[in-house]
Amino acid sequence: MSSKRIVNILAFVFVATVLLVPIIRKNAVPKPAFSEIYSMNTIIDIEVYGKNKEKTLSEIVQKINEINKLTDDFSKDSDIYKINENAGIKPVKVSSITLDMIKKSLNIARETGGAFDISIYSVSKIWGFKSGDYRIPTETEIQKALKLVSYKDIVLDSKKQTVFLRKRGESIDLGGIAKGYTLDAIKKILDRNNAKSALINMGGNVLTYETPPEGKFWNIGIRNPRGEGIIGVLKIEGTKFISTSGDYERFFTKNGIRYCHIMSPFTGKPARKIISDTVVSNKGYLGDALSTAFFVLGKEYALNNAKKFGVEVVGFDLNMKPFYTTDLNNIIELRK
Amino acid sequence: MKTGDKFLLLILAILVILTVGTGIISQRSSRDKIIVIKSDGKTVKQIPLKRGISKSFEIKSREGHLTVEIKDGKVRVVNSTCKDKLCVKEGWIDKIGESIVCLPNRISISITGGGTDKIDTTTY
Repeated sequence: MSSKRIVNILAFVFVATVLLVPIIRKNAVPKPAFSEIYSMNTIIDIEVYGKNKEKTLSEIVQKINEINKLTDDFSKDSDIYKINENAGIKPVKVSSITLDMIKKSLNIARETGGAFDISIYSVSKIWGFKSGDYRIPTETEIQKALKLVSYKDIVLDSKKQTVFLRKRGESIDLGGIAKGYTLDAIKKILDRNNAKSALINMGGNVLTYETPPEGKFWNIGIRNPRGEGIIGVLKIEGTKFISTSGDYERFFTKNGIRYCHIMSPFTGKPARKIISDTVVSNKGYLGDALSTAFFVLGKEYALNNAKKFGVEVVGFDLNMKPFYTTDLNNIIELRK
Repeated sequence: MKTGDKFLLLILAILVILTVGTGIISQRSSRDKIIVIKSDGKTVKQIPLKRGISKSFEIKSREGHLTVEIKDGKVRVVNSTCKDKLCVKEGWIDKIGESIVCLPNRISISITGGGTDKIDTTTY
């Protein structure tokens, strides 16, 4: 090869590299429209890819704020506050979103034999999980509060669009379903705007939308319930909802016993069958509510009933031993 | 080959090695851990999390402020104007995917990174 040719080839490689590197880089990692907001009593990260990403993002933020306004049980303007204030007094007219969310809650309550019950509020209150002043109530207090826990006392009138709690003192709280439900609404917005790809994390409830900007799978870490970092990774393909319930998010310990924020509607005490469970679902509201129900009912129920609900589940028993449905075999990587 | 040709050849060879080399190196560096700090929803700081770096600084938001400490490849919040101090109680974090969130102050500190350890987000 003549030296001139070598010079030519090298010159070509140089120019090509200089020109191509920025183009390749730019194409390799498209920039999302991104926002981190604080709503629904948690931190929410939203990233959207696609042509209309900015418009899509602002529609999503609007939707989150709209649902938060309706369901925030601390806010006097919310549907939930009004329903609770009028317990045992009169039915309250609510928005179609609130009505739909309560309807779905009642369906899951029936299908899980009452393990998921939005009327658990009275019990959560006496353990201090509403105010943050944690305490262990007396057995009498627990029995009294349990009398006010029954999803069967929630009366819906779809025609009049009203909700009524039968007994005075009864109250409801949509904390176990609202985030998942909102993710369903967000998915609709993404569909409507033809989004290319998106990732939403609402306080641990995740929506993966379509294919990630890089690679084939979304790598979703599962937080280690007893230590730092993550304990496993789910390789999620396409659009899925991932929800986790665990005893490590909000809890207090007394005399070496851990009391977590997820209450069993059967005992009126914190559920203590497993440490955590993560549900992978095609519906946000379902995954959110089922992760709570599975946490209350434990490992056997979760493994035996996941298929019936069309979901997958991975969890950790009280000895931190993992358990999961067989279909997760290929997409889960557990770390030691 | 003339001297001028040899010179040109050498220069071009160096340039090619440099451009390709920096491309590879900068790709490798994307695998390092990065601390991303957001306040009121906006990214206010991005710091590489390396063993050698140790410093502490203040992060402000509309709601208040807190002090972040970086040491031995770990990050924590040392004090905060918030009421519950959950961010301080969280302690040190040092792994990709971990984060400390101060809800009252609307400040978040998270560790991200690329490469084989890549995690898109974490469920909890």
